[in-house]
Amino acid sequence: MNEQRRSFIRKTGLGVLAGLGAASGLIPQFSLEKTTLPAWDDKPVAGKIRWGMLVDTRTCQESCRECVLKCHHVHNVPDFRNRKDEVKWIWKSPYEKAFPTASRQFLSKETRGRSCLTLCNHCAESPCTKACPTEATFKRWDGIVAMDYHRCIGCRFCMAACPYGSRSFNWQDPRIAIKNPSTDYPTRMQGVVEKCNFCSERLVKGLQPACVESCPNKALTFGDLNDPESEIRKLLENNQTMQRKPELGTLPSVFYII
Amino acid sequence: MRISKRLVIIALPALLLFAALYAFRLPGQAGPLPAPSARPAAVDSTKCIATKEFMRANHMRVLYEWRNSSVRDGNRVHIASNGSRFDKSLNTCLGCHSNNRLFCFNCHMYANVKPKCWNCHLSPMETP
Repeated sequence: MNEQRRSFIRKTGLGVLAGLGAASGLIPQFSLEKTTLPAWDDKPVAGKIRWGMLVDTRTCQESCRECVLKCHHVHNVPDFRNRKDEVKWIWKSPYEKAFPTASRQFLSKETRGRSCLTLCNHCAESPCTKACPTEATFKRWDGIVAMDYHRCIGCRFCMAACPYGSRSFNWQDPRIAIKNPSTDYPTRMQGVVEKCNFCSERLVKGLQPACVESCPNKALTFGDLNDPESEIRKLLENNQTMQRKPELGTLPSVFYII
Repeated sequence: MRISKRLVIIALPALLLFAALYAFRLPGQAGPLPAPSARPAAVDSTKCIATKEFMRANHMRVLYEWRNSSVRDGNRVHIASNGSRFDKSLNTCLGCHSNNRLFCFNCHMYANVKPKCWNCHLSPMETP
């Protein structure tokens, strides 16, 4: 290879690199990493469904656990009777655990003592799906943060990423701890993470989620947050509602009336 | 074979430029998302979705395809070559085939394959 050609190739290569560098500076879409900030409100595109839930803690009875029992039965959630191995999809938390960053100064004793129904928030900006290395957990077209148990490798990054503790790990084979198995839904296996799926298997059949259906006081409302005419949107319009840890910018799809 | 110098001089930077542009390309637009409507699939579990010979050789590919498209894309309806519709679910198969409790196991034992289906899904052995 003669000297002239070599220098020509070298110059051309440098020119290409310089051009690309200039392009990435001038056209922001060319930059290597996306640096756009997440929108803090109304992120999901209008017109597409975004399933959401509204929990009315005023009518949710303190002692009632119907929804928890129904959900855990329908989805074959194991009960190890042991906090360390606990697997939960929906559960009750005391007010200060559900809303740890909300102000509690001079809060009424009744509200302070209230227990709030907590479940996966199906965040619009879900940190868990961003942490998952295998895309086993992913954001569905309808706003549901779904799990593909076939792909879960049990690394538990999603559990570390979730700010709401909505995910549980199967330390043991869950089948041994399912007392009354439901034949309509599979179980999980040892070594995978599981969580609430917003009853996507029931939504396909046109049914409401199991917890909503089982609530004796109708404290739970389920619906499309993107549809301004839906019942849930009307309730959100007419009531003062809260989300869990809204300052994190995860945009939860579960709302609370306190 | 001799390649002319000029060709190399023109082609090489062009190729480089193409490779670089390809690496910096804009993320492609995903196809239209499936309409998220509640649509109970008209399950036809009296027939098989394909011929016996095809299913013997390809059932694992069918199940793999079904699993990915139903779980991830929400596309739950399988339309067979003769136009009949099936729900993309392991239970569509087991609706009939669990009549024989050893339907899956006989062959898998013979072929010494150990699929992980039954770690989570209920096998015909376990159903009452």
